Amino acid sequence: MTTDSHPPCILLAEDEMMLAMMLEDRLSASGYSVLKAARLTRCLELAESAPIDLAILDINLAGEPSFPAALVLRRRGIPFVFSSGYGGEDIPEMWRNETVLQKPYDTRQLTAALTALRAA
Amino acid sequence: MPSYLKPVPTPAATAGKGGPTAKTRKRPPISTMIVGIGASAGGLEAFKSFFAHMPVDGELAFVLVQHLAPDHNSLLAELVGRGTTMPVLEATHGMRVEPRHVYVIPPNATLTISDGVLQVCKPAPPREHRWPINTFFTSLAEDQGDYAVCVVLAGTGSDGAQGLRAVKDHGGLALAQSGFDHEAMNGMPANAVATGLVDAVMPVSDMPARLLAYQKQMHAAQLKKGSDGVRGDVAAHLKIICELLHAEVGHDFSQYKEKTMMRRIQRRMLVVQAETVTDYIEHLREHPNEHELLFREFLIGVTEFFRDPVAFEALRTIAIPSLLADKTSDDVLRVWVPGCATGEEAYSIAILLRETMGSQRGLKVKIFATDIDNQAIDRARAGRYRAPLNGISPERQERWFSKDRDDYCVVKQIREMCIFSPHSVIKDPPFSRMDLVSCRNLLIYLNNDLQERLVQSFHYALRPGGFLLLGTSERLARNARLFTELDKKQRLYLRRDDARTRPRNFPNMQRHPVEHAAHATLQQVENLIDQRARQALEPWSPAYVVINASHDVLRFGGDTGRYLAPSSGAASLNLFQLLDKPLRGAVRAAALQAFASGTRVVREGLTLLLDGHERSLRLIVEPLAEGDGKVEMCVIAFNELELALRSAESSTDGKPDSELTRVHALEDELRGTRMQLHAAIELHETAGEELKSANEEYQSVNEELQSANEELETSTEEMQSINEELQTVNAELNSKNEALNRLNNDIRNLLDSTQIATIFLDRELYIRSYTPMMTDLFHLRDGDRGRPITEISPRINYPELKSDVAQVLRDMAVTERTLRGIDEAPTFLLRMRPYLTFDNVVDGVVLTFVDITESQQLNSEHARLAAIVNSSRDAIFGFSLDERISSWNAGAERIFGMTAEQVVGQPLNMLLPPEPSEETRKFFVSHERPTRLAEFDMTWVRPDGASVPLAISYSPVCDHDGTMFAGKLIARDVTERVRAERHTEMMLAELNHRVKNTLATVQAIAQQTITNAPDLPNFAESFLSRLLALSHTHNLLAQDAWLGAPLIGIVNNELAPYRQDSDTRVDDARVRLQGDETHLPPKQALALSMAFHELATNAGKYGSLSIPEGQVTVTWTTRMKGQRPWLLLQWTESGGPTVEPPTRRGFGSRLIDEGVPYELDGEVTLAFPPGGVTCTIDVPLDEVVL
Repeated sequence: MTTDSHPPCILLAEDEMMLAMMLEDRLSASGYSVLKAARLTRCLELAESAPIDLAILDINLAGEPSFPAALVLRRRGIPFVFSSGYGGEDIPEMWRNETVLQKPYDTRQLTAALTALRAA
Repeated sequence: MPSYLKPVPTPAATAGKGGPTAKTRKRPPISTMIVGIGASAGGLEAFKSFFAHMPVDGELAFVLVQHLAPDHNSLLAELVGRGTTMPVLEATHGMRVEPRHVYVIPPNATLTISDGVLQVCKPAPPREHRWPINTFFTSLAEDQGDYAVCVVLAGTGSDGAQGLRAVKDHGGLALAQSGFDHEAMNGMPANAVATGLVDAVMPVSDMPARLLAYQKQMHAAQLKKGSDGVRGDVAAHLKIICELLHAEVGHDFSQYKEKTMMRRIQRRMLVVQAETVTDYIEHLREHPNEHELLFREFLIGVTEFFRDPVAFEALRTIAIPSLLADKTSDDVLRVWVPGCATGEEAYSIAILLRETMGSQRGLKVKIFATDIDNQAIDRARAGRYRAPLNGISPERQERWFSKDRDDYCVVKQIREMCIFSPHSVIKDPPFSRMDLVSCRNLLIYLNNDLQERLVQSFHYALRPGGFLLLGTSERLARNARLFTELDKKQRLYLRRDDARTRPRNFPNMQRHPVEHAAHATLQQVENLIDQRARQALEPWSPAYVVINASHDVLRFGGDTGRYLAPSSGAASLNLFQLLDKPLRGAVRAAALQAFASGTRVVREGLTLLLDGHERSLRLIVEPLAEGDGKVEMCVIAFNELELALRSAESSTDGKPDSELTRVHALEDELRGTRMQLHAAIELHETAGEELKSANEEYQSVNEELQSANEELETSTEEMQSINEELQTVNAELNSKNEALNRLNNDIRNLLDSTQIATIFLDRELYIRSYTPMMTDLFHLRDGDRGRPITEISPRINYPELKSDVAQVLRDMAVTERTLRGIDEAPTFLLRMRPYLTFDNVVDGVVLTFVDITESQQLNSEHARLAAIVNSSRDAIFGFSLDERISSWNAGAERIFGMTAEQVVGQPLNMLLPPEPSEETRKFFVSHERPTRLAEFDMTWVRPDGASVPLAISYSPVCDHDGTMFAGKLIARDVTERVRAERHTEMMLAELNHRVKNTLATVQAIAQQTITNAPDLPNFAESFLSRLLALSHTHNLLAQDAWLGAPLIGIVNNELAPYRQDSDTRVDDARVRLQGDETHLPPKQALALSMAFHELATNAGKYGSLSIPEGQVTVTWTTRMKGQRPWLLLQWTESGGPTVEPPTRRGFGSRLIDEGVPYELDGEVTLAFPPGGVTCTIDVPLDEVVL
């Protein structure tokens, strides 16, 4: 948690509406301002230009991998975690060292991951 | 045709001295006929007899040739001269031969004649080359042509025969001396006759007349001849004669050489003594036999194979089958062909026999072909004939003759059947035990007597049941009883066994009669002398009678009349009836005494009154004792003693008388002595004369004997050398025989040891030999060799044997056949090949049977395995111990992408893949392979670049004792398996993903429901129904393998509880659905189903479905917006309670108007007008395809 006057903004790239709504509620409850993206196009727009501090990227966005957005985030120096229902084997070599939240994850896991991100 | 009718090269002709045949013959214009007379031992007498009957008026000249001792002056001229008035001269060189002259060969000289002039050449050649008669006859023939005459008189040996051939060859006349039996005399005449060329055999005394007649006739004919020696008048009538002959005999001679025919006609004219051609034609018409004779005359010199095919047909159909029927394999079929000439006839018979009997049981055939002509025999032995072969069909020529340059040679098989030898059917003893005698066209040249003798000869020669074949114009005549006629036309006869011919009928057996004849001649001569002596002594001997024991007179001798006085009455020869009465008493007494005592009885002093004088008579009775001493006859002699008595009287009377008497007596004595002397002198002279003759003869005989002796010595030497040669040959044969034995042993051992059943058959399927294994196939026993195979019962089923053999013999090619055994019986491979003899003649077949049962089983097993290997989808291939690929199946070609041609024979390590595992490398490179089944995987890269994952299994191939001799590999393409494994992995990951996502969704639903639920029961109801809705949609998606779900199904899932009608497909009073058939992808299906659940739940709780009258209408359409299909769905509630807008936004509203557009990237409008809730959903039905 920062002590800035602005609440920290988080990019939530998640195509499942139920999951997105739940996470938005939780993140909002935790003091985050949340920008949602269900499609890669939207995700890329936000990653490129939105004033975001953190990002949670579902690897599969309606059938499209979210790695291009990750590339943008990395360039911008914005920390992020991946989330995935997959085992993690399909992640390309360059993203292997990134943190992956295995669905389903609970609040504690989410908080730990975000804390780690913000600490970095 | 007998060979002696053909020209024989004479020594003179071959020597070519002066070439008398080549130069134009200058016959002296005079028609002197020169007669050459040859004689030897015994010839002097014949000469004398000849000239005693030869008148001096003929135009004949004579040249006498005798064998003379070279170192003795000959008295021949002198001796012959005594018997003729013609001049007899000893020949000298250059002496012209004049008619009515006799020329005698000088001793130690060779006498020839040229242009009518005698040529004397001294000295004579050595004895072994000395043939004075042949030499002269030959030169005479060449010099005088058809004017030459030769006469062969008594003599030993065969000189003259060859010269006689020359004379006959030039158309001259030949005579030979006959004995008293009208047969040719032994020695030279017989040898001359044996040539068959002698025109007449006759006693010497008849010869002059014959010669004179001949000379006259020749003279007449000579006048009519043209310059070429052919009578001009013959040509003019040739056509007529040919027509006559054609009509009578059936042969047309008009195409024959005219001159040859004319000469032959002339010869016939001389024979029939026709002066002119018209006479001869007349003779032809009157004597039907003459046609045949002229016909035969024409045929002389024509010889060919299978002459008179019909006769051979008769042999083939009648004689040969009968002969073969009697024969077993051990027998020898014996055939005699006398007068075989150059062998055509003999070979024809051999061919016929060989063809007829096939290869029957190895029956041996011996054809004795004989002729007196050595040269002809030599040619026959050579068996070489100049093409074309008349009478031989092309088939026979092909089969029985082999071509050698221009000639055809009789094949060995036929040649070996014939034995040629010089032999005279006339002179030599006949052969015996013959099955067949074929003597064709020989008899016609012989006179009847000789024919008769020959036919008897043949009868003797044939075994019982033997056949005789004569020429078509020959017949048995007087010997018809000896044979049965089988084919009248072809002169085929069967020997009759009931008739007997005795060997004494044969010429050489007649030596005894001839000797008897000589003896008889001697006796005759002796009797003649006795007779003459008796005549001389008759006046001086006493009269006598010979009486027998009964006193009948057997002989009267001398002047018995003065003592006889026959009694009156019946005529009687009884001495005592005939004797003068005064004598009867004394004679009777004396005779009785002589018969009784057997001793001589003399009675002196008998007196007899004769002519008025008293005669004193001495009676002598001499008994004639037989060999056993018994007296059967007596001679009674009457000896008058008149003078003695008178002198006795006168001595008593007085002296003067006594002196006178004495003078008389002395004178008588003197006269008697003189006469005796004279007789003695004459006797002496005669004896001297005879002695000279005898001496001459002895010299001649001596000469011949010496010559014979030398010949014998030469012969002995030759015999010794032949003996030597024979021993050499024998030794060679022995060694060959040993070699053959050894070979034979080898072959027998080979045949016995071989496990292959082999049988040798001849052309007629007779068994030659077989190996022991054959007994498994046929019921063969040791005695079955020589039996036909068809008679042996087989253990195998092979009915085509006969036709197969025929085919092999026809095609000369090897035939193979598989004989399948029935049930458990073994299967055989039969290979049949032609049996070739040493000289490549097919003489049967060889059959080998190989038991291929096991091989067949192996073959079928092999075929089965090969089928498996070939049809396998796996690559199956092998390699040999030298690491080379040895087999490559279709599967291997497909899997490895290389054909068998590319691979087989290549090193195994070519199959080492580009990136091998350690195990794979070890396998292909190190050669240290496991001894058992081994398996490993590898990835092969095909030549086209495609990779194939392979599962390899390797196993060594070992023989029965475990030694590896090859390796075998199976490679299986495991691409499918790998893909399936990957798919499964992927499916598991997907499943994992979905489950996790679903659980995350559930988690979110629970979270949201908890947040909005006032209490636990409400939470439970809302949460469970939401889970149920999710579950329903899952069900629908699962039904279609998660490809999608029907929209109407999803809507119905939520609205079904509110329907009045359970049928979901029709509109209901409360629920109305209207839209095209639309399938929703899973994502859309799940999201929309959640939205419908919330709408329906809200409608059921608070909206139109909360009262029975309320309705819900759902309509939807799909349309294309941009490039994507979009769904536009309208939810409209009506008839329900009045709607009041909600005071707070619940989970349901948030899900519908926030969640659905978020997730589906579309737009949703939820409104709460008072008439009923409406919701418009406009979303794309698929994701953007980037």
